[in-house]
Amino acid sequence: MNKTIIKINQTLLTVSAGLLLLAGSAHAKSDMHQLYEDNCASCHGSDHGGYLAPAINADTLKGRSPTALRTLIMTGSFETLMPPFYGRLKDADIREMVKHLQATPKQSNPPWTIKDMKKSLKVYVKDESTLPSKPTYQIDSMDDLIGVAARGKYGRGKGSKAIFINSKTHKIVGEVETGTAAHIIDFDPANSRWAYVKTDTAEIFKVDLYSMKAVRSIKTGYNGPALGVSRDGKYLMAGSFVPHNAVILNSDLEPLKVLELEGVDPDGKMVSSDSGMIIGTPFADVFAIALENAGQVWVVDLKEGFPITKIKNVGRHLHDAFLTHKGQKLMVASYDDSVVIAIDLKTRKIIKKLKAGCVPHVGGGAAVKVDGRTLGFGTNFGTCDNNTVVSVWDLDKMEVVKQIPVSGGTESPAAHANAPYVAVDIITKDRRARTIQLIDKKSLEVVKTLDVGGHAYFPEYSADGKFLYVSAGYAGDEVVVYDSHSLKKVASVQMESPAGIFSRGRVKYMTRGLSPDEME
Amino acid sequence: MKLLLVSIIMFSSFSAQAASIYAGKSKAAAVCSQCHGVRATSSDAPFPPLAGRDEEYLKMALKQYRDKTRVSEVMNNIAGSLTDRDINNIANYYSRQKN
Repeated sequence: MNKTIIKINQTLLTVSAGLLLLAGSAHAKSDMHQLYEDNCASCHGSDHGGYLAPAINADTLKGRSPTALRTLIMTGSFETLMPPFYGRLKDADIREMVKHLQATPKQSNPPWTIKDMKKSLKVYVKDESTLPSKPTYQIDSMDDLIGVAARGKYGRGKGSKAIFINSKTHKIVGEVETGTAAHIIDFDPANSRWAYVKTDTAEIFKVDLYSMKAVRSIKTGYNGPALGVSRDGKYLMAGSFVPHNAVILNSDLEPLKVLELEGVDPDGKMVSSDSGMIIGTPFADVFAIALENAGQVWVVDLKEGFPITKIKNVGRHLHDAFLTHKGQKLMVASYDDSVVIAIDLKTRKIIKKLKAGCVPHVGGGAAVKVDGRTLGFGTNFGTCDNNTVVSVWDLDKMEVVKQIPVSGGTESPAAHANAPYVAVDIITKDRRARTIQLIDKKSLEVVKTLDVGGHAYFPEYSADGKFLYVSAGYAGDEVVVYDSHSLKKVASVQMESPAGIFSRGRVKYMTRGLSPDEME
Repeated sequence: MKLLLVSIIMFSSFSAQAASIYAGKSKAAAVCSQCHGVRATSSDAPFPPLAGRDEEYLKMALKQYRDKTRVSEVMNNIAGSLTDRDINNIANYYSRQKN
């Protein structure tokens, strides 16, 4: 038997060698695909269909000058995350890559099955009882931890880390290398020891925050940031852009069930769908997941068989969401309808569609209590004519309170019960991207603009509300810390290309801005 | 009027001679920091850091890249777009950064 295999292999070898000589380009093509996977896919998508960065394929690059594309790859693109590949890739490879991209159509969804996932599970700490019983560094409360997704210049390599900071001292207390760019950091609400970090290439790292070590990791897909943790910390759910699926895992990162994401969209078309946000809630043992293209929200019960309730016709191109009313109500952003949809997770029905700005992207959302009202804040990516706003809704009455004019598109609002301002990041790609704007909670007007530097985004308050953290991303390479009242700069934490900032305080207040003392 | 004239003369002579760290900062952000970073380059980058380097050395290197006595396809192109004043400002800015 063995002999036969060897013989066949030899034959194959001879044949392939012959083929290589005959058709060098076929060989180059698979090399180019690997080079693409290793350098480009984490941002541009494994299917060439775009992800954080634009789609790059035969269709989107049609008619573009190969010389201009080569230059762009060499020097990178300023004021974006596109790094310079000069000196990192050989010039011959860059030239071949341009040819490869201009000849490759968008790929169909590559499969990544539950078998692939299981095979990718890595265990770094076999016996978790060997881990320390308390933090190995000085910290008053684990809620004071702030996690930063440091992307690393190239979206991969040694600079790609989850970095944890004590938000009282502004000192780094731990760093966990993630191989590719960290995107989301989620904390276990039930046990302060654990955090989960998801990368742009859809690996999840289970991190022991006491020793600041990764204990396990698993690859759940090719691309996609969605990640949720259940209220009891027993389950995780992760969703992908490539391929179109989501997976429920236990806290040992063992995959339990894979959901294929497809459904009838609001226009009556059956579509396969990217995974939008996934969220666990203190309200119930469920996960909610938004199907971006199908415009549906699915509520998954965490019990035998994981039954799904499908809420249809929610909106066109759903993306992210935040919780309110003790986690019973879910506010979901719909890019193409310019609305945010309120969903009741008890009745599993749409409550109301509320007008937002242009291309609503609520980030983690924010909700604050002001004069007896609970106000929700939603950021908007877009900059339509006269509609460049941050939306404010009354979350009790579910009605629009105000559309606050801001200086550009916004991506994520930060608020805290003890801080006077709601901070929003301006992302419009010119000098405005260096800034964040502060909205006074009471007057609902922009009262200050801070020039943070770099590409300033993802503001986040410390758990006590005393400090405001902002990523000066792209080439800014620092997280800047402000006093939340005086807005004076108090510290700078150096790291490579910081992006999302996640306070562990979030597990207490559920949505940023709500009381840290009682769940509202 | 006289005072205004004097200040204009003083100002222009000032900007002709002394390098401006602010102009250097904005030029560096637009031209250099994408590869060389501000304080440090990426841990995986093949580019040398510029922060804290000798000001005269940085000026000389940029001028050599500009007139192509030092050859590098990328640097010849990038330095080729810089004026003497840009080079002074950038060198001044980077030499004062701590790495």
